[in-house]
Amino acid sequence: MLHEPVAWQPDEGPYGPIGVPLVDLLDRVMATGVVISGDLVIAIAEVPLVRLSLHALLSSVSERMPAPWADSGPW
Amino acid sequence: MTETAGLTRPAAGAQTPPDGTAVCIFAVCHAQTAPDLDGLTGHPGGGPVRTLAAGPLTLIAQSVSAADFAPEACAERFSDPAALESCARAHHAVIAAVARGGPVVPLPLATLYLGPERATAAVAGRADRLLALLERLCHRAEWGLKVYPVRSTPPAADPPGPDSAPAADTGRAYLDRLRNRQQERERQHETAWRTAEHVYAALARQAAAARRLRPQDPALTGGSRRQVLNAALLLDHDREREFRDTVAALARDPAVAAHARIEVTGPWVPYSFARLDDEEQERPADAP
Repeated sequence: MLHEPVAWQPDEGPYGPIGVPLVDLLDRVMATGVVISGDLVIAIAEVPLVRLSLHALLSSVSERMPAPWADSGPW
Repeated sequence: MTETAGLTRPAAGAQTPPDGTAVCIFAVCHAQTAPDLDGLTGHPGGGPVRTLAAGPLTLIAQSVSAADFAPEACAERFSDPAALESCARAHHAVIAAVARGGPVVPLPLATLYLGPERATAAVAGRADRLLALLERLCHRAEWGLKVYPVRSTPPAADPPGPDSAPAADTGRAYLDRLRNRQQERERQHETAWRTAEHVYAALARQAAAARRLRPQDPALTGGSRRQVLNAALLLDHDREREFRDTVAALARDPAVAAHARIEVTGPWVPYSFARLDDEEQERPADAP
């Protein structure tokens, strides 16, 4: 069983930001990437804060965000 | 990831900059990449999104209010779903725009420096490793791979048989039923997990690198069942067709389809592989 792969803005190149599933995006921007000693606080990669944010999201995400792949015909 | 050590606290002696502004760095790319930054707003309230030269590299930067990114402000803002989403999407929009022009090393959301000189110095000091990383990410994209369990048989409803009238439904029979149901759930989860491992192994073989991410909360994904796999694969552009074909074949395979549903997302900017260490291969996201 396969859900069609999620793609977005197929007409504008592969990296368009619109329609990217938020949860998948947070997976990537919150806790990954090269870290180059910042001068100020980069606290958001800390797990407790991420969890806090996700808990806050729980209350609103399901009614606010339709499944992004429901109507997309990516390929 | 050793470089994260100490980054969750202000660097020694770091203070709010005198003029109240800080520089947010979104990404690093080759100096010869000319990213089209038109129309990008970056973080709300910040200055224009611009480039900073750092020798062979270019930083994508924006001046922002330091107070907006102070720890308390961050904690508050990122606990607000709308603000978190807007921040994450603004960040992603900048990185995606740069990625259209060439390979990019995305930095984590809200990477801030006290000033442009400090930002360029930090990047210049790691230029060799960043150049090597850009080389590694060139002509490659990240693909997300998620696997969910499929209920292979209807949940054991245990309709009362002719000889199990409610009166005969002893406490023991009830407990047996509960236990059987629990065992069945565990068996299905175990099978789904094994299936996911099979899928992951098959697809990771085609990838330049593969990483497991933390499974997503079912409440966030809108599903009722917990993922058995959430992974990221770094794939050469010219292997994308092969990858899609393999995904389709796996999804059609009855031995897979009976137990698992495969979901693929991408192509992504290779966020999950923009690391200065060499541990991305098979490294659990939550490893210490």
